[in-house]
Amino acid sequence: MIHDLAPQIFNGLVLGAFYAIVGIGLSLIMNLTGTINMAHGSFMTLAGYLAFTMVSRGTSFWFALIAAPLIAVVVGIVVERTLVRPLYKREPFYSLLMTFGLSLMAEEIYRLIWGANAVPFSPPPGLASAVSLGFMSFPKFRIFIVIVLVIAMIGLALFLTRTRFGLRLRAAVQDTEMIAALGTNTQLLYAVNFGLGIFLAGIAGVLAAGMLGLSPTSGNALLMPAFVTVIIGGMGSLFGSIVGGLLIGMAISLTTLWIPAASEVSMYVLMALVLMVRPRGLFGEEGIFG
Amino acid sequence: MKARTELLAASAVVALFAAAPYLAPLVHLDISIVSEVLVTAIAVMSVNLLLGYTGLPAFGNAAYFGLGAYGAALSVQYLGFHFIEAILVGTALAFVGGLILAPFLLRRRGIYFGLLSIAFGQVFYFIAYRDTDLTGGEDGMTITRPYFGIPPAHVAIHELSFYYIALVAFVLALIAFRSVVRSPFGRTLVAIRQNEARVRFLGLNSDRFIFVALLISATMAGVSGALFALLINFAYPLELDWHQSGYFVLSMILGGAGTVWGSLAGAFIYVIGKDIISTITPLWQIFLGALFVACVLGFPRGILGSLAALLARSSAPAGVDPNATFDAHTPSEVNVGP
Repeated sequence: MIHDLAPQIFNGLVLGAFYAIVGIGLSLIMNLTGTINMAHGSFMTLAGYLAFTMVSRGTSFWFALIAAPLIAVVVGIVVERTLVRPLYKREPFYSLLMTFGLSLMAEEIYRLIWGANAVPFSPPPGLASAVSLGFMSFPKFRIFIVIVLVIAMIGLALFLTRTRFGLRLRAAVQDTEMIAALGTNTQLLYAVNFGLGIFLAGIAGVLAAGMLGLSPTSGNALLMPAFVTVIIGGMGSLFGSIVGGLLIGMAISLTTLWIPAASEVSMYVLMALVLMVRPRGLFGEEGIFG
Repeated sequence: MKARTELLAASAVVALFAAAPYLAPLVHLDISIVSEVLVTAIAVMSVNLLLGYTGLPAFGNAAYFGLGAYGAALSVQYLGFHFIEAILVGTALAFVGGLILAPFLLRRRGIYFGLLSIAFGQVFYFIAYRDTDLTGGEDGMTITRPYFGIPPAHVAIHELSFYYIALVAFVLALIAFRSVVRSPFGRTLVAIRQNEARVRFLGLNSDRFIFVALLISATMAGVSGALFALLINFAYPLELDWHQSGYFVLSMILGGAGTVWGSLAGAFIYVIGKDIISTITPLWQIFLGALFVACVLGFPRGILGSLAALLARSSAPAGVDPNATFDAHTPSEVNVGP
């Protein structure tokens, strides 16, 4: 029993960390600008493919892990400045629809460049083996993933609470007009904030490519669990996204163990249960987002 | 717009569609594509009621559409139901789906509503996708189109007769839709979009109105889905997917949010456009995505809406609800955004 259960719990944690980081990126963008970024998964895929191309051209995995998300960030900021920005003053569903269109285009473009089939993207040799934990062995790469994602989350938390820019960002979520009146360039905040969300998605995208595979639709497969993560954790709360991500990661991997067919449905059951008890999600803030 | 002018215009449109089996071959269109336009238009209306009129980002209507499709397909496959019965089963299934989801969606507005609709809508997708024994899973399920009518009077339905069935269904749905949005109930929905707080101050329970609107919307989407499954003799999980919801919303925007005829116009542009582009190039998804982007940035009021805005400057708007300009309302406290 323990031999089945323990690896599944670990897998659940890894999955949960992915959902959390994607959910946090979505939340960042949603909290500040009210934009539901349907193209979030596309940016993950983009970073994954960029890393794939870099590694197959001979650069190191470590370089690709940083460089690919950064390129995705540049693309993301260009998209935000040109396409998303005109929609900020409109009803939020317009930006949802627009980014949905972008994700459709991106999927086809990836198919054109990298082919319709999944491409092999394996973790670097140093991380390819499994490590024995005594009662079970576990792939090193997955442990590495958790470490990176945790570092990213801590980094984000420090950025948001310890730097002047991060504080402004959080203040802008509370009251954009006031922070603008106090002399902060809110457009810069929007752009950096969007880029930050994409950076997290990019890192998750590169790591997910190594664990879950890389295909034109692979990023979008993580998008829906990330939505559920945000809803369970509560909109407006980044900490909630972490808890929500881990919860559904666990729910999915444990149901995979017992009832594989219900693995996706389990997260919706969890979401429904949470919403019944707490309509705003676990850590959702009263008064934000209707 | 005067009632007589509208009736005249409406009759002209219906007459045009009634003649479509003779007109479509002239432009090398298959009549089943025109059937698809009519069937899709019903689903677009269902989105229009929630999004165009009530202002709720209904990004989950594919769930009801797909439930309608699977309800029809499953009842034909396993129970040997006939045409009308299959449509009723599909519609009932969608209605039940609406009943299940409505309590979760009801209390939320704005993007939270959108997020919840997307997420909850997807649950049926995974059920259809995973329950391979019953639904055929990812491959979907192929059915033979059932007979129309009561056992002794079996009538097989060919593409042409299906077209006229779709036309009748569309006209009925349109009449129902128009009576709903022109009724005091429909006016209240528009008021909820414009300023929900004031609606509440007037003593109206807006949640209750939205609940009914959700159920009407789910039912309409279910009718559309059931007809669609019987049109293509096939039900597949992607009908339940959020992409499908997005296509409905796009069609609604194309035609014009909050307009009675916009749904037909939008469905027409979307279905015919997709058909033409996908025969020209395998990269149709790029064009479809670009259409989304261009439409949102360029024609936020849709084709009919932009036309109406143009006409409104000179004379009375044609075929368009004058209250239906989407962005032009005072934001109430339920809407957030910079």
